[in-house]
Amino acid sequence: MTNGWIDIKNTDMMLIMGGNPAENHPCGFKWAIEAKLHRNAKTIVVDPRLTRTAANADMYVQIRAGSDIAFLGGVINYAIQNNRIAHEYLVNYTNAAFLIKDGFKLPEDGLYSGFDAEKKTYDKSTWNYEEGGDLTGKPPAPTPEGQNAPAGQGAQHSDTGKGLGYQAASPTGAKAGTGAPALPPNIAFDLSLQHPRCVFQLMKKQYERYTPEMVERITGIPQAEFLKAADLFTSVRKDGDMKKVATIIYAVGWTQHSFGTQIIRAAAMLQLLMGNVGRAGGGVNALRGHSNIQGATDMAGIFDILPGYLKMPNPNDVDLATYLKRATPTVSKPDPWDSFNYWSNTPKFTVSLLKAMYGAAATKDNDWAFNYLPKIDRNYSWVNIWNDMYEGKIKGIFAFGMNGVMIGPDSNKNIDALKKADWLVVCEIYPDETSEFWRAPGITADDQKKINTTVYRLPGAGFAEKDGTFVNSARWLQWKNAAVPPPGLARLDQEILATIFLKVRDLYKKEGGKFPDPVLNATFAYTTPYNPSLSEVAKELNGKALADITDPKTNITIKAGQQLPGFAWLKDDGTTSSGNWLYCGSWTEAGAMMQRRGTDDPSGLGIYPNWGWSWPMNRRVLYNRASCDGGGKPWDPQRRQVWWDEAKQSWVGSDVPDFKPDSAPKDHMGPFIMNPEGIGRLFVPLGAMADGPFPEYYEPIESPIANPLHPAQSSNPVVKKYKTDMDKYGTLDQGFNVVCTTYRLTEHYHYWTKNNPMNVQLVPEPFVEVPAELADRMGIRGGEKVRVTSARAHYIAKAMVTRRIRPMKIDGKETFQIGIPIHWGFRGISEDEDRTAKTLANQLTPTVIDPNAFTPEFKGFLVKIEKV
Amino acid sequence: MTDRKTLQTEKISGHSGPSPGLGMQRDFEVCKLVDTTTCIGCKACEVACVEWNDMPFGMTTFDNTYQTMPETRWNFWNLIKFNEHQREDGTIQWLMRKDQCMHCADPGCMAACPADGAIVKYTNGIVDFNQENCIGCEFCVSGCPFNIPRFNPGTKKVYKCTLCSDRVGEGLEPACIKACPTGCLKFGSKDDMKFIANERARQLKENFGMENAGVYDPQSVGGTHVIYVLHDATDPERYGGLPKNPTIPWSYTVWKWLFKPVLGAFALFGGLGVLMHYVSVGPRRPQPEPPEKEAANGNGD
Amino acid sequence: MGTAIDRFDEKARQTFDSIGRTEVYRGELLRHSVYTRLLHWAVALFFFLALFTGFGIYLPWLFRWFTPVFGGGALSRILHPYFGVAFVFFFFFQMLNWLTPMIWCDGDSKWMRNIRRIAASQEKLEPPDTGFFNAGQKAMFWEIVAGCIVYLITGIILWAGARSFGATAVAISYVLHDLSAIIMLGGIFIHIYLSTIGEPGTFQAMTRGAVSEAWAWTFHPAWYKKVTGRDPREDYEKARQQQNTTPKANSNPN
Repeated sequence: MTNGWIDIKNTDMMLIMGGNPAENHPCGFKWAIEAKLHRNAKTIVVDPRLTRTAANADMYVQIRAGSDIAFLGGVINYAIQNNRIAHEYLVNYTNAAFLIKDGFKLPEDGLYSGFDAEKKTYDKSTWNYEEGGDLTGKPPAPTPEGQNAPAGQGAQHSDTGKGLGYQAASPTGAKAGTGAPALPPNIAFDLSLQHPRCVFQLMKKQYERYTPEMVERITGIPQAEFLKAADLFTSVRKDGDMKKVATIIYAVGWTQHSFGTQIIRAAAMLQLLMGNVGRAGGGVNALRGHSNIQGATDMAGIFDILPGYLKMPNPNDVDLATYLKRATPTVSKPDPWDSFNYWSNTPKFTVSLLKAMYGAAATKDNDWAFNYLPKIDRNYSWVNIWNDMYEGKIKGIFAFGMNGVMIGPDSNKNIDALKKADWLVVCEIYPDETSEFWRAPGITADDQKKINTTVYRLPGAGFAEKDGTFVNSARWLQWKNAAVPPPGLARLDQEILATIFLKVRDLYKKEGGKFPDPVLNATFAYTTPYNPSLSEVAKELNGKALADITDPKTNITIKAGQQLPGFAWLKDDGTTSSGNWLYCGSWTEAGAMMQRRGTDDPSGLGIYPNWGWSWPMNRRVLYNRASCDGGGKPWDPQRRQVWWDEAKQSWVGSDVPDFKPDSAPKDHMGPFIMNPEGIGRLFVPLGAMADGPFPEYYEPIESPIANPLHPAQSSNPVVKKYKTDMDKYGTLDQGFNVVCTTYRLTEHYHYWTKNNPMNVQLVPEPFVEVPAELADRMGIRGGEKVRVTSARAHYIAKAMVTRRIRPMKIDGKETFQIGIPIHWGFRGISEDEDRTAKTLANQLTPTVIDPNAFTPEFKGFLVKIEKV
Repeated sequence: MTDRKTLQTEKISGHSGPSPGLGMQRDFEVCKLVDTTTCIGCKACEVACVEWNDMPFGMTTFDNTYQTMPETRWNFWNLIKFNEHQREDGTIQWLMRKDQCMHCADPGCMAACPADGAIVKYTNGIVDFNQENCIGCEFCVSGCPFNIPRFNPGTKKVYKCTLCSDRVGEGLEPACIKACPTGCLKFGSKDDMKFIANERARQLKENFGMENAGVYDPQSVGGTHVIYVLHDATDPERYGGLPKNPTIPWSYTVWKWLFKPVLGAFALFGGLGVLMHYVSVGPRRPQPEPPEKEAANGNGD
Repeated sequence: MGTAIDRFDEKARQTFDSIGRTEVYRGELLRHSVYTRLLHWAVALFFFLALFTGFGIYLPWLFRWFTPVFGGGALSRILHPYFGVAFVFFFFFQMLNWLTPMIWCDGDSKWMRNIRRIAASQEKLEPPDTGFFNAGQKAMFWEIVAGCIVYLITGIILWAGARSFGATAVAISYVLHDLSAIIMLGGIFIHIYLSTIGEPGTFQAMTRGAVSEAWAWTFHPAWYKKVTGRDPREDYEKARQQQNTTPKANSNPN
């Protein structure tokens, strides 16, 4: 979330799409209701199903699963055409005025410039800003190629992720550190936004094609309804008024597509266009589906980052300098403007991380033990891990706090993959489908004899049995205490992990091994090494001074061994350590900031500065400099977050300014300090996105129609399909004529609460939501069993016949959508009583992943449905 | 301990004469406000109710709805009713209403209940069942215009929502209120809740285009201590059968307090009549009447 | 009535007569067979059990001193329907048993019209056409038949509750059930009175099963005539004269 849960109460308009907060985040949805009650805020819900969120909305729009970009593109077009845009914000805080290189081509045919059809990747050198100065009012002239930024001078964005093959090992990746195109230090711009190659004009052209007619053809939303929704949402910018704010709220309904990242990009563009980012009640707000998923990402629960979103080294990063050169961006901006470019501190964050990880073993002489870090040679994302296991390349897996078989996609493939593994370690609190994959329905006693996987089951502890922190969607670190001790032989996660680590280290000590140093030298200085206290871990993550350090400006000194008060103190000379620079400040000498329970809210904006601790540096709304106009005055005086204090020559406010505190408005420093340009990116230059600098609408891999925008290039061109015999993809011609989406229920928590009587009482059995019209046609009545079949498997459950899903006209054809909640498997209360068919929702889903975030396409695939 | 006074008895069921505790100082009438326009159907209230009242698990069956079960049960007092209502323009409105005891000012269950002290109405408005005195006749079930009390065939007693009288008596809010994540459930004095409800209805009318928004506090049962804000107060039936004009069957109101004792006495007149006959007319003996002695012997063998 | 019922009753009477015993002395007449008596007392037992448990439901506040006899109100409520069903069950056989003698006839209507005179004992003997049962007894019998039907229907509705039959059905049943009980309660006072102190010599009909001839010609002259073949009036006069001439003679020859 750019903002936070409580901040939603400050909004005037909510667009909830790709998420169902009333059901999946009911406690957070309270703040949406507060906004309705106290600000008369309006809610628009766009969803394939009339959910409980939609039931509470002022306007519900039914959309075909997966067609979100078409809708958002249509709203962008509407906002531009009807001048519902924040002009001053757009010019000064986004790259709308920046010029893009000649040679860049919009995807009229479905492809941006630079596509390599064979490798299914883009050469992104034309996706770049033009070098130059202020071209405002000057007639556009083509820029000669040679004038572009010389290599090495600009920042380098080489993470040109390109779908399945993580590029680092590939030849293009090898070039990344050296000759790859870079952002120009001096960007050409046209403040009148008239230049045909300025971002605004390109964007306008890109989305002019997303007419209401086109939106109707793709999404199934009747034009009148779409226009009503677009008008309502953009009404906050009526007549250029900047006081009102709209927010966009989403969850995995957006991420779980083969173009998920681009949907979120489209939302971010719309919010930048309307000047809603950085403001109280605005922003682009991802609702996390688990209590600590934000913490998991912050702490590098993803394969391609280190803690604090530092880039993961790859084999080309032969030493720290090479890595830092690749990972540290340099400023790229219009000459007269200023840019903070906070990522320029990457070396400090990295060295402090290495010091935290390897302690005394990390010295200047050994590059701070940089070579201890693993280097990733390819894509180790979720689906790839299981694909590798299926292909016999991965021999064992540790499954902690997740149910790999159930999570999918294509659960059958995951079950087959586990059959081929040598061993499986599962740490759980219930007998789950993963640890019992060998008794999945369809596996006979004879089959079981052929499975040689050794399964180790470890007794984990439940959430209420552990202390520690949760990092919520609002980036708040909140400490919780254990409510009850773990029962019986159950052990805390850290005890299990530490025990395994110490045993492995003993083996390395005794037997040597190929490269024992990283294991032997890892710091493990906990009071009880076999069961480290999480408060010690939290303090380690915050970091401390390793020598006396003094701030030259204020002359404040921090003694060696003291906790650091914030990441501004981090050094790249080995005098500081921090396990995660973003968490620096969470547990200082003043105490555990994450344990604070202060309920004072002086501004009334729901900032609660003394409750818990929010990264970065307790800022509750990111980019909050953008809540002020160019002169540093809040757009809305009623909702003052931060502002420029002329007397103090400093940014002050109710929230912690997310900005260089002493940068005066006249310096024109961009509010988006994490981008080297300092501005919000409407156009994403170079390699940050694998599939285009603007979001373009592509059909899901399994789609009932050819993309009306460009039928020849229907789906995302950089998405690759998996090639094993299990990876099948269905088409309309094969009879898969119904669009299917999966979802969660408020009554259940993933694959977990099916073991809890209370939850089972609330919703006892799996079901399939079927539109009444489709049910009529198929002769299905509510409560009767239906079989849903995809190209991969079938799923059997009772039908919930409802009028909450209506038939749709997609590109003129009547199309039906159905929905399947994911919560049931083959172990659980109802399952063990044989009340269900024991099929898994994710047996249906395809093995397709987004090329940027590698998230599987769980929403919007094709099935057929029949009565059992 | 702060608020014991709120649980002073006003009257108890089936009891003649003054009720124990009547006339003692009372604090205020309590009220639960359910704003159906902000209810998200999350069922937290259902769970909180089951957990606080420590009720046993009862298996349910999928029934083509999100609703947990068709009706409340003796061990499930708080049920959100889900209803798909088709608007005139063909669009669907998905209504969710938390169903539970309404705690009527004039409780039908109490009118119907014959058992001494099985139903207690406190001065704060809570209508509570005292299972110790319940005889399991189930008359309350038919006396309730909201179809709330439920008979437990195991214990042969009737149960329903207590408005957490145990919590309220200690100055806490009911469990469902505490669990509600959105604040669509509120708890306070009846006056305050009516004020908030009316304000909300006004807001819905003025700012959200709901012309028929209103507050449900049916006067046909003297008002209730659970009130609703409805999108359309003109048609409460669509919210899972909320009666527009809930009434208590006449057979309970008239019958119980008037005819029952009167007719019961009337039956005693049978006894009185024969006594009078015996005294005034005397017994009829087989004729001719034998002399007294022999007559006395007559029956003995 | 149907011959099948007659045959069934006859068979039951013979069966029970072979188990029990009815002694009829000279000057006496057999009034009720063992079968009839057993049925009567079974009906009576369950009637009172149902009645007393019913009190605890009807007006618990009035009968709270009494309900503990049956283990409290709740247990009363549990037992009551079972007692009621047993009452109806046994009465059903009694009804079959008595169907024929309980047929209403012209004399009964006349009897009813003269009820004041009869109740006031203005006639020494019952009207000569009074058969095995008089009109009052028949009226009570048919009231119980009607009452049992009402009990059974309303009782089942109340037993199953509003969830099975709806609140309205329960609310109506509740009134009818009570009304029926009140009528029967009024009737039972008269029944007990007349069968004991009100008409001495009657009680033994339901205990030993036999009654004196004098009792028979007094209260059921037509029946007397039918079973003895003699004229009740004549025999009465004869007995009266005998009594007058030999004051010490006993009309009960035993």
